[in-house]
Amino acid sequence: MAYKFEVEQVDAWFGAKQALKQISMKIKENSITAIIGPSGCGKTTLLRCFNRMHELVPDARVSGRLLFDGQNIYDDDVDPVKIRRRMGMVFQRANPFPMMSIFDNVAVGLKMNGVRNKAKLREAVERSLKRAYLWDEVNDALDKSGVSLSGGQQQRLCIARALAVEPEVILMDEPCSALDPTATAKIEQLIMGLKEQYTVVIVTHNMQQAARVSDYTAFLYLGELVEYAETVPLFENPRMELTEQYITGKFG
Amino acid sequence: MVRLMDIGLERLKNMTIDMAKLSENTVSTAIDAYIQSKDVSGEIHKWSEELRILQDEVSELAVEVIARYQPVASDLRFIRSCMEISYGFSRFGRYAYDISQVLGTFGDLSKCDKSLVKKAGEQAKEMIRMSIKSFTGRDAELAKKVRNMDSVVDEIYLQGVENAAKTRQDDFKCSVSALLILRYLERIADHATYIGDSVVYTITGERSPRK
Repeated sequence: MAYKFEVEQVDAWFGAKQALKQISMKIKENSITAIIGPSGCGKTTLLRCFNRMHELVPDARVSGRLLFDGQNIYDDDVDPVKIRRRMGMVFQRANPFPMMSIFDNVAVGLKMNGVRNKAKLREAVERSLKRAYLWDEVNDALDKSGVSLSGGQQQRLCIARALAVEPEVILMDEPCSALDPTATAKIEQLIMGLKEQYTVVIVTHNMQQAARVSDYTAFLYLGELVEYAETVPLFENPRMELTEQYITGKFG
Repeated sequence: MVRLMDIGLERLKNMTIDMAKLSENTVSTAIDAYIQSKDVSGEIHKWSEELRILQDEVSELAVEVIARYQPVASDLRFIRSCMEISYGFSRFGRYAYDISQVLGTFGDLSKCDKSLVKKAGEQAKEMIRMSIKSFTGRDAELAKKVRNMDSVVDEIYLQGVENAAKTRQDDFKCSVSALLILRYLERIADHATYIGDSVVYTITGERSPRK
């Protein structure tokens, strides 16, 4: 089994404050990995290290090696923009571009990459919306504003936007935390389908969501990787007492 | 911090302990009554039914706790074990009832040699006691010992089979009735072993292969 990511002794800081401490883990290709842990444990920071977004924060820095398809993305000669193009990102709050139509929201990445051929754009938009399980709900309203959709639809629109540029990895930062159970179920179903083509890493506060959708789960606490294992064994019989305490709600 | 789920888990534990006491007494009474040629089938039937009802209640509560709180880790293992263990206790009740029926089926057995049943009965009762103690005391080491004791009952049962195969026509009633009871005791011992296995699973997460 090929590893999409190999994280080797990664530290991350915000100024003098260390957010991640010596994180080492490997993420298999075409798998779904959930990152769980209490607020402030470094989940989002770790996710943002995967596509070099962490360093966009002033005073933020990273050390260690993070191999993406065997290449250390923190090597001096690596262009972070090129790395980010290979990874789609979905955020907690759906963030469609408010002035754009549904069609343009999906096509925007391709247009920015220079694609002008209308037939190609149309094909990519349809394909992406279908993969995001949104096509049937919007195919007769592609010229309507993206923000006219419901919260769950907007989030799937954002996923379609991420998929349109044909990434290899989808990074999701609590993608369902603002959604109701029905919308959450649709996104979870979508996530499960994505792993056939993509490697998915998802940060979630919702442990049941991690248990439902992921193949592997990483538990972070105070910036350290406490336990990283296959999801079912981790939720049935965690090896570390701290994991047990956290997932059973006996913390603190 | 007391969690809402803890209230359900405590009730589950208490119900399982109630079953433990009742099932131990039921098996013990049935074995002793056979040895003393005493008919206790009425009482045993009543207790066996109680155990069956209690097992249903444990299952219902377990499902409720799962539905309400989505337990994981040691909580989840405990609930699964309570369901398995309560099933074991209800089987004790059922086999005790089967033992109590033997006298009614075969009639007077007071002249029969009951030494094998006595031996297997003592061993099975001890296994039940140990499995219950391991559950109430969360003692994985004690629970593992129950598994090691199972072979003794198996051997006595096989001895009973051999005896029955060689039996003379006039001893037929004694050997077949003893063999039936030995078979029930052998099953009781197996279930005591499973209860021990469930206790080990609750504590360590390790599962033993079923026999």
